[in-house]
Amino acid sequence: MINGKDLKPQDISKPVKQLTKIDKLMDLPAPYDKPGMEPELTEPKEEWAEKFCASLDGYIGLDTFETPKTKEEKEELVKKFLSGLEKMLSDETNRSIIQPLMLSLDYCAKCHTCSEACHIYAATDGNELYRPIFRSDILRRIVKKYFTKSGKLFGSLVGADIDLTWETVARLGELAYRCNLCRRCAQTCPLGLDNGVLAREIRKIFSQEMGIAPKPLHEKGTMLQLKTGSSTGITKPAFLDIIEFLEEDIEEKTGWNIKIPIDKKGADILLTHNAGEFMAWPENPIAFAILFEKAGINYTLSSDLIGYDNVNYGIWYDDAQAKKVAMQQFEAAKRLGVNKIVIAECGHAHKAAAVSADRMTTSDNKIPVESFLPMLAEIIKSGKLKLDPSKNNFPVTLHDPCNVVRQMGIVQPQREIIKAVCPQFREMTPHGVDNYCCGGGSGFAIMNSMNFGEFRNKVSTRMKFKQILDAFQDTIEDSSIPKYVCAPCSNCKGAIRDILEFYEVTAKFNVHYGGLVELVVNALADLEKPFLEFLHDDEA
Amino acid sequence: MFLLILSYVSLFAFIFLSIYKAVQYGKMPMHGRLDLYPIPKEKGKGHYGGSYYEEVEWWKKPRETSLLEEIIDMLKEMLFIKKLFDNQRPLWWISYSLHLGIYLLFAWTALLFIGAITELAGLAMESGHWWAVLVYYTTFLTGTIGGLLVAFGSGALFLKRYLVPSFKKYTTVQEYFNLVFIFAVAATGLMVWTSDPGFNYGRHIAKSMLTFRPIEADAILSIHIILLGLLLIYIPLTKMSHYVGKYFSFHKVLWDNDPNLPGSEIDKKIKQAAGFKPKNNWSAPHYQPEPPKTQDM
Repeated sequence: MINGKDLKPQDISKPVKQLTKIDKLMDLPAPYDKPGMEPELTEPKEEWAEKFCASLDGYIGLDTFETPKTKEEKEELVKKFLSGLEKMLSDETNRSIIQPLMLSLDYCAKCHTCSEACHIYAATDGNELYRPIFRSDILRRIVKKYFTKSGKLFGSLVGADIDLTWETVARLGELAYRCNLCRRCAQTCPLGLDNGVLAREIRKIFSQEMGIAPKPLHEKGTMLQLKTGSSTGITKPAFLDIIEFLEEDIEEKTGWNIKIPIDKKGADILLTHNAGEFMAWPENPIAFAILFEKAGINYTLSSDLIGYDNVNYGIWYDDAQAKKVAMQQFEAAKRLGVNKIVIAECGHAHKAAAVSADRMTTSDNKIPVESFLPMLAEIIKSGKLKLDPSKNNFPVTLHDPCNVVRQMGIVQPQREIIKAVCPQFREMTPHGVDNYCCGGGSGFAIMNSMNFGEFRNKVSTRMKFKQILDAFQDTIEDSSIPKYVCAPCSNCKGAIRDILEFYEVTAKFNVHYGGLVELVVNALADLEKPFLEFLHDDEA
Repeated sequence: MFLLILSYVSLFAFIFLSIYKAVQYGKMPMHGRLDLYPIPKEKGKGHYGGSYYEEVEWWKKPRETSLLEEIIDMLKEMLFIKKLFDNQRPLWWISYSLHLGIYLLFAWTALLFIGAITELAGLAMESGHWWAVLVYYTTFLTGTIGGLLVAFGSGALFLKRYLVPSFKKYTTVQEYFNLVFIFAVAATGLMVWTSDPGFNYGRHIAKSMLTFRPIEADAILSIHIILLGLLLIYIPLTKMSHYVGKYFSFHKVLWDNDPNLPGSEIDKKIKQAAGFKPKNNWSAPHYQPEPPKTQDM
């Protein structure tokens, strides 16, 4: 095993059982600066390491990739990877990304400016494996060796010095799932290059050519969504049952009889939720229903296939899956005859529908897409909602989902909303377009096979945990004061939920998490008892 | 005559190969959107990273962009390498030395030709005329400072790459060679300069190029001209041509957030591209056409 600090790109092919391990993590602020406050890192189980690829850093993200046993299987793996690389580099098979891809492959000056921007690199105290260009440079060297004249002619002199063995392929596949695709590194690159693009291209080769992708993203993700309508497995009848349940829940929580419109032809808006909200955080779609009812918005939900689930995991690993899902979402909206699709609290769904899908088809096949944020900000400004911010008189901080902020440029509306309803709002540092990823981005939030959850909780979310603790330093150790991390995105919320559970932050320090609309509903002046459950007397 | 021909060939090769490279990138198919904020052209919002997506029904509103904001941001990056300055100051000092030196040497080259034309028009640099004095001293300053900065920048970058382990492990032999090559050109130039601080040799070369007369050069000047000529041909063939790539990566990738609206240029391009049928396809099972459904018996 090689010490993380000493690792070189060429080591990726080394025939060792495990290339490296994480031996030091970034320090956390108080009260997590004391020994024993966080669970220790663990070793992978022997049976996992035998069956899957744990030979990178001991963690397994590619839970569908079983290591090849025979010589033929190993050769076939390398052959398929090379075939995928060739297609990656072709403007015939990879048209939609070829220009940004070639720029990022051709021009890196290896100045390391990107390294300091990466939350995973920082969390591992500068372990070389997680340096953003470590992965990119391996890919670059392989491309150079197998696909360029200069590489074939001059070999290692021009960096064409990584031999493709099955272990190189397997480790590179795993390494593609050590990046959240948050693109913070690209923001700092003096040449405008994008390590996130390169990480996603490796994921694409595995999925599109080799048929290998994490089960939660592919088999239980896009495939299930295309078959049943939702990656949660919620079918249309189940969805309709859930909506009925939500209406009952609204009445129980608020005393208000609110009907949630379904498949209302000619409505102005199709509101789409991440279907995970219906299962894990029903208070979020409930809050939307309450606010839209109070503001008199002419909207509907859809019970059509994929119309009730706005997720699109394809944007993390596979172009065809991304397009299939996006097109079906547009079709669902078209069938209802709505004027626009409004995306609720799901960051990647924002980007998938508004940005990624924007050029997937001609304009006549699409419906305009808008975030819920400007609309809610306008509703609040209009005074249609009678608000009493004192109901939210506890410390609140805001997590900026990368997909909404850095990748869409929506920065101010969420701040206008939260400042209108939370008197003790404080920003994280840094925030806005400079924010750090929650650590759950690009699928990590739903990848829990084997020990991958540990990588997320200990490593990829570490910087976000630090930011949360920093934001609440004035009250963190006073457990009588509730604190709220507002994360207007399902995946981010899932990652933050796991942080709070893993480190027992809610139990020990009264820190809670949730969406943005819940805070707005909690501030409604005519609401009799708090909407946020942690404010109920019996919860205190 | 060889030196004259090399000077022409290298100058035209530099321009032609750089343009060729830009054309190659420009011809690549339109890609999916990869907006990354802040995008400076977003009028009134660029400074904090906002975009038109902050507006309700943004597609019904006129698209407001600011070319001025974009140019200002571009110049900050081109002239000062601002991202490196903001994010990695220790490297900025030496990288910026090299780049500023190159910019000054571009100005110096232009001034050499201006000086040559001035002399060909009958106004000698020694005439004492204000124009000749201005050209002479600006040439002197840009050439001297530019040469010194390029030599320092390339030398210091070489040492940094060689001595700092985190840089060394990613640096290829070719990348060391690139820096040595630049340093050699700057060093030979400075050697020539020590015996001719007023850069009269430079104006002589410029005059030779303008009048198609052979360049008279001693050994060290000949080596300098040959090395510089080869460097000019070599740069566009390598990643040192990032002056081309940088334009595309910012303007055509990270800052390209033009939406696909009915009747827009983007929409037209997508319609044109819709007829493209790839001959090859990816091999994973979900990329294969679904088998025709058979009726259950």
